[in-house]
Parts: sequence; C-alpha cells; structure tokens
Amino acid sequence: MIELKNISKSFSDKQVLKDVSTTFEKGKTNLIIGQSGSGKTVLLKSIIGLHDIDEGEIFYGNLEFSKMKVKEKKKIRKEIGMVFQGGALFDSATVEENIAFPLEMFTKMNAEEKRERVNFCLSKVNLVNVNHLFPAEISGGMQKRVAIARAISLNPKYLFCDEPNSGLDPRTSIVIDQLIRELTIEFDMTTVINTHDMNSVMEIGDKILYIYKGEKWWEGDKHQIMKSDNKELNDFVFASELMRKFKN
Amino acid sequence: MRRVFSKPEKARIFFKLFIREIEMLGINSLGIVIIISVFMGAVITLQTAYNIESPFIPDYLIGLTARDSMILEFSSTIVGLILAGKVGSNVASEIGTMRISEQIDALEIMGVNSANYLILPKIAAAVFINPFLNIISIFIGLIGGYLAVIMSGAISADQYLLGLHYVFVPFYVTYSLVKTVFFAFVITSVPAYHGYYATGGALEVGRSSTRAVVYSSILILLINVIVTQLMLA
Repeated sequence: MIELKNISKSFSDKQVLKDVSTTFEKGKTNLIIGQSGSGKTVLLKSIIGLHDIDEGEIFYGNLEFSKMKVKEKKKIRKEIGMVFQGGALFDSATVEENIAFPLEMFTKMNAEEKRERVNFCLSKVNLVNVNHLFPAEISGGMQKRVAIARAISLNPKYLFCDEPNSGLDPRTSIVIDQLIRELTIEFDMTTVINTHDMNSVMEIGDKILYIYKGEKWWEGDKHQIMKSDNKELNDFVFASELMRKFKN
Repeated sequence: MRRVFSKPEKARIFFKLFIREIEMLGINSLGIVIIISVFMGAVITLQTAYNIESPFIPDYLIGLTARDSMILEFSSTIVGLILAGKVGSNVASEIGTMRISEQIDALEIMGVNSANYLILPKIAAAVFINPFLNIISIFIGLIGGYLAVIMSGAISADQYLLGLHYVFVPFYVTYSLVKTVFFAFVITSVPAYHGYYATGGALEVGRSSTRAVVYSSILILLINVIVTQLMLA
C-alpha cells in the first residue's frame, strides 16, 4: 500500500500540487486522472521520488519514503517498477538486454538464470522471439510491453505507469490495460497508473483519483464515477458525445 | 560531481562500460586523429622549411621544429580541440537524448546512480586512452613530415631524420601527456554535464551539444595556457 498525506509541490512560485492525500491499495489498479497540466505527472513523479515534495508525507507500507535518505530510498526503488510514457527503453540495448538490465545490476543471477527470467517476463507480456531486436525495430505497442516486462523483471511490489496507452491504437490500449491488470493481480502489486484514457478508467479503474488544478477533486471507483455529480469530473470524463451516451 | 565519482554499483559492469567507451571514444577516433596528424606533420614541416630557408640555419632544424611542434602543441592541443568536437558532441547528444527520452529517469527509478553509471566510464576511458592517441598522433605527424620532405624535396630525408633525433627533451613528452589527460577530462565531463542537464526536446539537445563543444574548446585553450605556464616556465 502507498499512502500520501497532504502532498504539496511548487515550481518557483507556481503551486502544482495542493494538499493531496490518498491511499493506493495493494493488488489493485489505482488510476490518477486529470486534464493536461492538472499536476498528475508531477504527483506520480513525486511519489516515486523524481521530484522532492515541499510538504506532506509519502508512505510505502509503513516506511516514510519522503523522509528517507538516498541510500534508504534505493532499497525501496529496487521494489519499484516503472513504465514510462515513451517506454524509456535503452536505445543501444536489445530487448533482452533491456529486460536483463535490472537483473544485471541488482542480482547475482548467472547468464542462464537471467535468460530464463527474461523469457519468463516476455512470456508474461505475450512476446516471443524478440530478444535480439532493438527498441527501434519493434512497434510502439511492443515497446510498451517490453517496458512492462522490464518493470516486472525484479518482481516489484509497486508498479507505476505514466500514460501507458499514449500513442497506441484503441485495441492495443485495451491489451496493455488488461495486461497491467492481470500482472497486478498475479504479482499482488500496488499499481498506480497515470492516464487520461477513458477506456482505461472504465476497464481497470479499481480506484480512481481525479486531480483538478493540483488538488484532489474526487476519488472513487469505475462504478461510482458513473453516478458522480461532481461537475468538473463529469466535464472531464464525459467530455465526448460517446461517453455522454454511455453514461445516459 | 560527487555522484559521478562515487563507487560504481558493480565493478564488473563498470569495467564492461569502460571497455566499451574506450572503443567508442578512443578507437573510433583513431581514424580522424591519424588523418589530422599526417597532414599537420606535413604542413608544419613544409611551412618551416619554406620560412627558414637560410644558409645560416641548418636543414636538420626543420625536423627538430616539426618534432617539437607536434609534441608540445599539435598532438595534444589541436587533437584535443578536434576531439572536443567529435567526442564532445557525441557524449552530449547521447546523454541529452537519454535525458529527454526519460532513460535517465528510468535508471534513477531502478535505483541506479545514473550520473555514475553514464559519465564515469566515459571520463575514465578518455583519460586512459587519449594519451595513447596523443603518442600515435606524434608518430603519425612525424611520418607526415617525412613524406612531405620526400615528396617536395624541401630538405633531404637524412637531414629531417637527424633533426628528429637532435636535442630530444623527454620532459616535453611528459608535458604533452599531462595536457592530454586534462583535455580528456574536459572533453568528456563538460559535454556529459550539458547532456545530463538537457531539458525540452531534440532542439535543446542540439543546443546542449553545441554549448558543450564551445565550452570544452574554450576550457582546453585556457588549461593549455595554465599547464604550459606551470610546467614549462
């Protein structure tokens, strides 16, 4: 479980996050949604420690991450898997080397064990025979899957995904969503996804946190979002004709 | 800086990266170093020969001038400036692209000290391999001079070879190597800094790369003056 208590963050004189508190539970897909510029990416990067917060506390289980020193944070980071918006795969490394990278850095596995683990992770994201290809040689959807495979290679307790569906077609987006959901349940991870894809919200939103102008504006699940009368939330989620029809 | 020079996560991985960077920054620069050096050696020899044409100046001094010019200045400083362009832009754009495509963030999230992992092997490799490039450049430059005197007939080959052996000061080589080590540090660390702190998109990576080359070149010239004053004065 991850718990946020009164998180605030400013850049120069612009306050981006204001007093955000919530919990992300284990074994569930937790979604952070909001308009572009609402502060959801800053929130995600603050949770994983890429941004230092100005005020508040971040707990990973019982451990207060926000007050930890660099060495202590390193231990937690080995339990974190992250899927970046663009995949963030290492261009100069093959698919196999990308997935094996965390294993190489933090385990004492021999070459055979590493290969087995890489193939296991690839099988979990339904990819075969791509080990020796470079990221530039595979499609965007496959890159996202490789990124997920790399994120789970160390068997993390926490999985973070920053807009995993951006740039993907609707069909591939659904595949990626389902994959993340299945892995979350199978590995009993605390998964936090940053998205503005409404299909994801409706498909895998076990918990949804709506960020509006840097503040927590609403939270609930995919069933509650249909019944919410929160104006800003409805303006965002049901902005399209299709979504309005779906609600009605 | 402290993060760059902290202890690597795994010595085996550091060594692997170190070897890779020796190939990328050193071996791959060998071609341009050879081309520049052969022409520099030839031009220095010919210019000296045509400018000090006098019955009072012995011909072998042309060989001596070519030798000392290559050792003292050209093989260290000029090659350093050329490598600042080639290696510097390469390092800045590689690390800058990794920054804007979130690959550095990915390393940090995994708990890897990205500054140490990406920058230290480059600095170590350049500091290790560039003195060898310097020595190669000196030899190739002198061969270039030799070819120039043979082809132009400006002086006899024997006189040129005599000049190469005449009043050789080994300390000049030490001075040249010391300069090369400083330049190698600048050529890798300055571009790495600019790449590491690149923001924005491809345009900004390009700008970082240009800034890196300009600052590295200025620093090389400045260090050249300081080291010369300290070692030769």
